[in-house]
Amino acid sequence: MTHWRLITDDNVSASFGLAADDCLAGRVGVGESEPTLRLYTYRSHCALVGRFQNLDNEVHREYCQAHGVALNRRPTGGGAIIMGADQLGVALLVPGRADDSYSRARELMAQFSAGVVNGLRSLGVAASFRRKNDIEVDGRKLVGLGIYRAPGNGLLFHASLLVGLDIPFMLRVLKTPFEKISDKEIATVADRVTTVRREIGRAIEVSEVRARVAEGYAQAFGVSLTPGDFTPDERRAIAALERDKYLTDPWVHQTTAVPDALGSAKLKTPGGLLDVRVTLAGNTLKAVFIGGDFFAAEGAVAELEASLRWHSAAPKTVAETLAHAYAARASDLAALPLDSLTQIIQQAIRRAQAVESAARADPYGCFVNPTGPIEDLSQPQTEATHV
Amino acid sequence: MSSNGHYDFPPELYYDRTTHVWVRQDGDRVTLGLDALGLESLGDMAYISLQAVGFPARRGEAIGSLEAAKMVGDLIAPVSGVLAARNEAVLRDPSIVNRDPYGAGWLAQIAPSAWAAESADLVHGPSLSTWVESEIERYRSQGWID
Repeated sequence: MTHWRLITDDNVSASFGLAADDCLAGRVGVGESEPTLRLYTYRSHCALVGRFQNLDNEVHREYCQAHGVALNRRPTGGGAIIMGADQLGVALLVPGRADDSYSRARELMAQFSAGVVNGLRSLGVAASFRRKNDIEVDGRKLVGLGIYRAPGNGLLFHASLLVGLDIPFMLRVLKTPFEKISDKEIATVADRVTTVRREIGRAIEVSEVRARVAEGYAQAFGVSLTPGDFTPDERRAIAALERDKYLTDPWVHQTTAVPDALGSAKLKTPGGLLDVRVTLAGNTLKAVFIGGDFFAAEGAVAELEASLRWHSAAPKTVAETLAHAYAARASDLAALPLDSLTQIIQQAIRRAQAVESAARADPYGCFVNPTGPIEDLSQPQTEATHV
Repeated sequence: MSSNGHYDFPPELYYDRTTHVWVRQDGDRVTLGLDALGLESLGDMAYISLQAVGFPARRGEAIGSLEAAKMVGDLIAPVSGVLAARNEAVLRDPSIVNRDPYGAGWLAQIAPSAWAAESADLVHGPSLSTWVESEIERYRSQGWID
């Protein structure tokens, strides 16, 4: 039976937490460290942006500084997240294969997420992997996923699992369109994000979730987990990487040439008003928000939105993906005509592409989709109502 | 033309069998990008970053990074030399790589320092079609492509 080391550590700083994962990914690829499953928590709180995100687009820097929220950048991709004592960090560090540098990107995400899914299901949470990068429960995001292939073919699989979440706090840390944070905005987020505590209806400790996730990995991969710690040599290497990378401005505050852009469009349909807002990173859809006053079953709209997250903005592929996602929940979306929805999303994308110069954030980061700044609704260059 | 279905591998190019990076000789430089099979597996490109012009590239080592969906990985130099040019257009709009991988979607140019020796490790010429067919079969058998 294959053995993996199991490291559990808590209350780590953002720079140490990320440096440790990055360092071990490099070492495990060249055989300097053993395959490791690390299940850990960050010191409350930190905001971590994706590998290529612009920090100022994603977080309220002044609020973070005033409230001691550390800022840093993950080696893995995706959107901004907050991490702290109620969010379990998962880092699986295993050697990759030399003959397929990029080839397994698609199936690795599903394979590596199986341990988390197993652990959640053992708690009675009906979690499932959403192709690409999420673990969800009925359309609500519960876990964000990412993979980084380090030099030397080491693989780092990252997951951020919401055992609990203070939504108002998250909305203050991550950039949102809201001028105020009222029950309505909190409810909008709560319809798209969930937590382990919410799903099982009791106040479970992070340590219990961690134990279940560890068992989930042992079961999914047929491995035995041996509790251990970083070796002295690893700690020296982690400290060096922390000093040279994760505590430096060039890493934390780097920017990308790909511009963010936001577009929106409305359409009056027989079933009600459709209000769609999109955030693009270049020609990639970072996020889509589908709002309005139409009726749809709980979770169905969030599933549609999730199907387009980190998706090509090309009209044909957007239409194909929407049709596929719609078909799975057609009866739940009967009041939301697919043709109208496709048309209005494509229009919002075209508008975002037309106003690319406006640098906009994914307002809710990795976990939720944007509604867009309220004031944008009155701007004729980005907004039009079709009746 | 070496192709199988819709996976085109222009025969005048050289290919890194490990990373699916293509290489083309352009005078005293080589141009490089990602081949059709590598892109099919990666999916839509979201972000690309490259080292600055003048960076000393070593075969097998990173000259940049890329993000597709949520997979982040390094762009590995297929040959050694000096990074001579970057395609600034794909840095601003990485989707160009998916739309035109062998044309406007080129990534960088390297002034090679050991082309004669290192190009021998790349797939080119008569062996190309056999390699392409075996790679497509391998990808299909593993379920990495349809």
